[in-house]
Amino acid sequence: MIPRRVFSPAAVGIVLVGVGLAPSVMSTSQVYSGTEVVILSLFAVSYNLLFGYLGLLSFGHSAYFGLGAYATALLLLHAPGVPLGPAIAGGTLAGAIGGVLIGNFCVRLSGPYFAMLTLAFGQLLFAVAWKWRAVTRGDDGFGGFLKHASLALPGTPESGSQHSLYYLVVALAVPVIAATWALMTKTPFGNVVVSIRQNEERAVFLGYDVFATKLITYTISAGLAGLAGSLSAIFHDFVSPSVIDLNLSTDVVLMTFIGGTTFFFGPVLGAVFFVYFGDFISALTDRWQVVMGLIFVFMVLYVPKGFIGLGRLIPSVRPRETRPETAP
Amino acid sequence: MTLEVQDLVTYYGKTQILHNVSLAADAGQVTCLLGRNGFGKSTTLKSIMGLVSTQAGGIRLKGRDVRGLPPYLIARAGIGYVPQDRRIFPTLTVRENLMMGMKPGSRPSEGRWSIEDVLAYFPPLERRLTSKGRVLSGGEQQMLSVARALMGSPEVLLLDEPTEGLAPRIVEALEGVIREITGHGVAVLFVESKLSVALRLARRVYVIWKGQIVYEGSPGDLERDRNIRQQYLEV
Repeated sequence: MIPRRVFSPAAVGIVLVGVGLAPSVMSTSQVYSGTEVVILSLFAVSYNLLFGYLGLLSFGHSAYFGLGAYATALLLLHAPGVPLGPAIAGGTLAGAIGGVLIGNFCVRLSGPYFAMLTLAFGQLLFAVAWKWRAVTRGDDGFGGFLKHASLALPGTPESGSQHSLYYLVVALAVPVIAATWALMTKTPFGNVVVSIRQNEERAVFLGYDVFATKLITYTISAGLAGLAGSLSAIFHDFVSPSVIDLNLSTDVVLMTFIGGTTFFFGPVLGAVFFVYFGDFISALTDRWQVVMGLIFVFMVLYVPKGFIGLGRLIPSVRPRETRPETAP
Repeated sequence: MTLEVQDLVTYYGKTQILHNVSLAADAGQVTCLLGRNGFGKSTTLKSIMGLVSTQAGGIRLKGRDVRGLPPYLIARAGIGYVPQDRRIFPTLTVRENLMMGMKPGSRPSEGRWSIEDVLAYFPPLERRLTSKGRVLSGGEQQMLSVARALMGSPEVLLLDEPTEGLAPRIVEALEGVIREITGHGVAVLFVESKLSVALRLARRVYVIWKGQIVYEGSPGDLERDRNIRQQYLEV
């Protein structure tokens, strides 16, 4: 179930003002983490269009994040003077084009077959990034492309201070996440996507083209992941195969699941947790990934609805559910 | 004829389910396909809808062959379908469920029935417009399922045992609505296992037995034909 609560303008305002003013009271390192949270939130939201909305578990979503990251980085590197805007748009487009090409094969499948095919395509693109050294410089990666960007970020001595990068990322990611929220919860398109997850056959006999709807959703999801990747490339001023590897593909599954797939903003919570708790725990132990893994196991077993589901453990806020939410 | 099915052949794997099924449903009339459970009634409707693939035969909607089209195009061509499980979309509200029934891309005003018209047929739904589908009773779900199909302005409405498991009062209301729908020129084809329902509603009756049509006639004739009834319908 994706509840479609209407947020009060006041709450939205408070969050926006908070996000806007946060850097002025945060240390550089906190601003750094904050930027990472916003980028990963966008990535996780994009992933949840597949996982939460369409019910498709992908193990290759970093492919689109990586396409976006590499496309933006290569554009900035090889087309000196290209403004940041078109470079970001190029990254987003690269993700979307990858999505429409690969999705065309993947969305015909479901369940484990979908998962396997996304994994296969993800690994294929990873191999390209890894092996095509002439273009990607392989495992070494490349950076320093931001100094070529013709549009210097405001208030930046060189290629961009943490603060201006934060504002750039927020200014792009937050409206895009909001627009995606509106698309999925306020338009007939969102209802069609939900109906397909609940019962594909039912949507079909009402006259909906399930394949086209899935492919469009897949493409939007890939485009958003491309945008996240593009922002990540600019933020780090560096790309390497880690932006397109299996680790990142599983990280986004973790974030999305832990945050909660049944609520549009669940993955945002997951990204917040992933970054801050990850920072916290990795300062304590080198084996922080074991802790993360254990938390994931616990969530899958006992809180399958993620953090959003935790609220439901408290009786007073537990919504009454009289029927199973997915139709057989 | 609005809907003409000719010599339809359907297999599930290697098992032949439908053996040259032929039937017709005319505009403004209720046609009933009677038969015991497991003998091909639902498969006939699913075959018409394209939800199971057919191996041979013809399905004509107002003269246009629709057999072999993907189901979503068959739906858009004008065939509405209310499946037996009658489930609606549980997390969407009643209103959203109804909107889902409109032909994709059309506006509420373009259909034969507006939401208001459809709600006038089903007053209980009007009070529940903002309720989620999952909190509706079985009877309300069935009403919503039929109402949703009407939102698509179908030429032909296929109903799979629409009254099964419903309280008598709701059955009565639903039968009234089915009669009214035909008054608007819709061809209604419903499958049923109970003769009594067919007698009350249908103008024309087909009896199916192990995937073959074994009787065609008026409900009155069928009622008088004890032989056919005993052979094919009574348990």
